[in-house]
Amino acid sequence: MRDFVKSTKFKVLLGFLAFLIGIMVYSVTKGGYSLSGVSLFNTVSKPFRTVSNSISRNMEGTLDRLAHSDEYYEENQRLKEEIGELNRRLTEYEALKTEVEELRELVSIKQEHEDFEYTQACAVIGYVTNDPFMAFTIDKGKEEGITPNCPVVTAEGLVGITVDVSDHMTTVRTILSPDLSVAAVSSKNSKDMGIVEGDILSAEKGITRLIHIDKNNKLKAGDLIVTSGTSGLFPKDYSIGKVKSVSRDSNGLSDCAVIEPCSDISRLSSVYVITDFTGKREEGNEN
Amino acid sequence: MRIRSTREQRIRGFKSVLRWILYYAVIFLCFLIMTSGTWMKPILLVPAAIAIAANSGQYSSAFTGAVCGFLIDIACGKLTGYNAVLLAFFSIIVSLLYEYYLRSKFVNYIVITAVVSYIQCWLDYKFYYEMWEYENVERIFSQISMKVWAITIIASVFVYLVIELINRFFLPKDHITIEEAVNTAIRSERK
Repeated sequence: MRDFVKSTKFKVLLGFLAFLIGIMVYSVTKGGYSLSGVSLFNTVSKPFRTVSNSISRNMEGTLDRLAHSDEYYEENQRLKEEIGELNRRLTEYEALKTEVEELRELVSIKQEHEDFEYTQACAVIGYVTNDPFMAFTIDKGKEEGITPNCPVVTAEGLVGITVDVSDHMTTVRTILSPDLSVAAVSSKNSKDMGIVEGDILSAEKGITRLIHIDKNNKLKAGDLIVTSGTSGLFPKDYSIGKVKSVSRDSNGLSDCAVIEPCSDISRLSSVYVITDFTGKREEGNEN
Repeated sequence: MRIRSTREQRIRGFKSVLRWILYYAVIFLCFLIMTSGTWMKPILLVPAAIAIAANSGQYSSAFTGAVCGFLIDIACGKLTGYNAVLLAFFSIIVSLLYEYYLRSKFVNYIVITAVVSYIQCWLDYKFYYEMWEYENVERIFSQISMKVWAITIIASVFVYLVIELINRFFLPKDHITIEEAVNTAIRSERK
């Protein structure tokens, strides 16, 4: 072993480790963009990852059905009973259908936000391995006009922000993460404002929090929380989630609300990236 | 000393190339498994790097460890190079341990895998979560890091079997001459 420490091989290996550390330091300076090597690998591996992910999701679905067959049987029986009740309501539903379709058009994101520039629908390639905050990768990147810190949305609401952009792939940090803070406000009362920021306990349940709310707020369960747009990172008045409950924050100085995101972040299959909107800040970092 | 024929040398070289192609195919497969689906998954590339380092020289171990590390960085969304440094370092150590002190046995492999993957999970927790003082951060360690560590150890058995299978067919065995065999037998008799 002593001979090894004195050998040229040892020095070469030390040099190699120093080179790797150099790569690590260099990647920090890239400001949200992947290294070209990583970008190339992501491009090459994308079709493989897409295929393996679809296989894996099918397998997970099959295993889930096998593991919970008793639960599904009971649920099936209960659902059969509910079908009878739902049939009765079907007539009522038909009458409401037309009205709902009109409302859907009304809230359609493209009609409501004409100033937004979207990418095409981005398929979710997969979730970041073992990330507690459900970060995920999408199949569009720099080539499609995505830059770091672009808002990522679904038709239902805000999902997160782009953080690591390759040529044809992008990693998205979600609103469940404590590393992403979004200035938000109640759609009913603009005085009820706060910061949407995830935490570990909430992320386990797929929910997030609205923190730093004034103690004299009028928030109640069911209220819709939207982006305030003050930072220039997120467009104004975009849905984030609904209030589940409001309680006093642990510091006793403000209130904190539990927010259920409008989009089910754990089961996303496609999202949109807003590449430009009115009031966008070119260089900034709210998170 | 026995001198290998040109044909033997050619077969040996061919097997070696094939062995490394299969190693990297296994590494890519591990990467694909790690990046697929929504469930918690083992960090398969750690046991893969160790299993390969156990039968390789220091240079090839360092390079393979670095590749595995880069792939972990991509799969887990970590800083590019962070796991590469870590795994390259451990691969060199593992290669040296096997060269000087350890025999190529399953027990040794599983103990080393457990230690290295624990250090990897622990450092990951320290640098990516605890250092930033998130609320209830200890839950990440108990609910994610430890579970990932446990399933990595379980999954490492399968990685070992696959790498061993490749080694059985493609790892060139060291030849021993009759003279060497006789000398070894004499030495053991004297003891």
